[in-house]
Amino acid sequence: MAEANLSPSPSGGYYNYPVIRRPVWTWEIPVYFWLGGIAGGAYLTSSAAGLFGDDDDRRATGGGFYIAAGALLPCAPLLIADLGRPDRFHFMLRIFKPLSPMNLGAWTLAGFTPMAVARAMAQAGGEARLPMLLSLLSRLVPSRLLELSGSVFGLVLAGYTGVLLGATNVPLWAKSKLLPGLFTASAVSAGAAAVSWSAERSASDRTLAKLATVETAGTLGELGLAFGYIRQSGRAARPLMARPYALPFWGGAVGLGGIVPLVLRLAARGGSNRTKRRLGTVAAACTIIGSLALRWSIFEAGKKSSEDQQASMEMATPKE
Amino acid sequence: MIEAYQRVMNVESPPAPKTPKGFFTDTSLCIGCKACEVACKQWNQLPADGYRLSGDSYDNTGRFSATTWRHVEFVEQAKANSRRDGQRWLMMSDVCKHCANAACLEACPTGSLIRTEYGTVYVQQDICNGCGFCVPACPFGVIDRAPKHGTFEPGTAHKCTLCYDRLRDDMTPACAKACPTASIQFGDVEELQARARRRLGELRTRGESRAQLYGMPENEEAREVGPLHAFFLLLDKPAVYNLPEVPRLPRKSMAQRYAWSGAVAIGAAVLSALVFGRRG
Ligand code: SF4
Ligand code: SF4
Repeated sequence: MAEANLSPSPSGGYYNYPVIRRPVWTWEIPVYFWLGGIAGGAYLTSSAAGLFGDDDDRRATGGGFYIAAGALLPCAPLLIADLGRPDRFHFMLRIFKPLSPMNLGAWTLAGFTPMAVARAMAQAGGEARLPMLLSLLSRLVPSRLLELSGSVFGLVLAGYTGVLLGATNVPLWAKSKLLPGLFTASAVSAGAAAVSWSAERSASDRTLAKLATVETAGTLGELGLAFGYIRQSGRAARPLMARPYALPFWGGAVGLGGIVPLVLRLAARGGSNRTKRRLGTVAAACTIIGSLALRWSIFEAGKKSSEDQQASMEMATPKE
Repeated sequence: MIEAYQRVMNVESPPAPKTPKGFFTDTSLCIGCKACEVACKQWNQLPADGYRLSGDSYDNTGRFSATTWRHVEFVEQAKANSRRDGQRWLMMSDVCKHCANAACLEACPTGSLIRTEYGTVYVQQDICNGCGFCVPACPFGVIDRAPKHGTFEPGTAHKCTLCYDRLRDDMTPACAKACPTASIQFGDVEELQARARRRLGELRTRGESRAQLYGMPENEEAREVGPLHAFFLLLDKPAVYNLPEVPRLPRKSMAQRYAWSGAVAIGAAVLSALVFGRRG
């Protein structure tokens, strides 16, 4: 039919004007996603080692609690800096509205940060790194309880960010429903990597091998979910296939953050313990950088996809 | 304690609901004069957006923004045939739809976005902290955050208020008041809907076969976002006016997204417990 010619745009829309508005968030957000993910993943890993592991595991992985607390501290300032009215940051906790993933995330962060800081204090007290008074205080911290509850909060913090991006109308963020799973898997691998990086000197070979297993499992999940995510996104994923986001996504997140660590650990299997440690540390660093690349590229490419009229229209078409 | 919290957080109880108010925009009457855009800017004291020329049509406004709450579109349908028939010039004054299930309102973490006593969707300027979540949540690209370092209300979100201040004084919103052809009609939503159905019938009998209503309760586009309090009579398919066929409400797929993150999280917790718990 000639009907298509009647429209001023090849896609049948209004010229080539975007259907939705471009997100206004800036770099603070993906950096926060990354740090929050590492904090959640590291806390989970150290808690699992503490709750289920042997003495070796527990001693060597305590650094994860420092990492979690350290990664969480810049999170609130980053989020506040991105607000249009930073002076009104406290309105984030004005109401409790889990229907809004951003409100849920604010409460989660507000709950998880003191937990992680308290657990890190207990760790420092146990390692006799605190002055007298603080050390006495730190004995009051219910470590086991915090490990359990903090792990739940940490996992929510790692995953809700994907739900938040998906709770918009940006095609790249919302078309596929796998993004929250992808972010969670990447948080687990990056968090475990951070723990094994911190434990590299003190840990036994066995503990390092256990950490490597968690990292590998996380990375495999991440790669699988990433491919599923790209497939489901279809046209919406186009910005990730072209400059400037193809390199950070495919090279950074998938290559450096996913395939390189797998290959390195595979290569280390036959080698001496020393080589294993060396390559393990490099693999951990790659995983951590890759998880930033993943969030940054999806975040920025999403802004580009918000301008794609046809992707927006396709997403809003009823499925037969 | 609770009172102190409410004072710090600026929490008040809402007024009692009144009859829902809305707009019926009949695009078959629009002449593209943009009086609505100007009246809106004047009443709401919104600054001008500069002198950008789109080069596509008389539509130099192009899009909604924090300072543009009405947007007149010009669709030039030209068909190259010798008889020159099928050429049409469609005009439409677009506006915030004041959705019954509003994506912006559901996204808002501070409770700044509220449903008013008139059933409209309103940004409380003293609450909004400029988190920006409502901006990509709206399926129609309406609400926007004012630039952080600009001169107009820096950093907070803005959109049509359905002239909330005028409604409280029983006045018609500025755009509807200014519209010279009654393309923009203001009133009780139910009455406007009845009027829209009658008008559609009239146009159909006159041979406007492609005329349709957009945003009525029984229509496909209300499936997720609900009936629109500002709805339209269009002379062509919604996509021609950049309106989505079935505008998405993000909440509808949220459970599935949480399920994915929960499944991976549980998997990770179980796996790490097993890995560290392995003895021998
Ligand atoms: S059209 Fe957009 S801004 Fe207006 S009420 Fe609906 S979701 Fe909110
Ligand atoms: S920018 Fe303001 S109105 Fe929009 S979601 Fe955030 S707090 Fe609510």
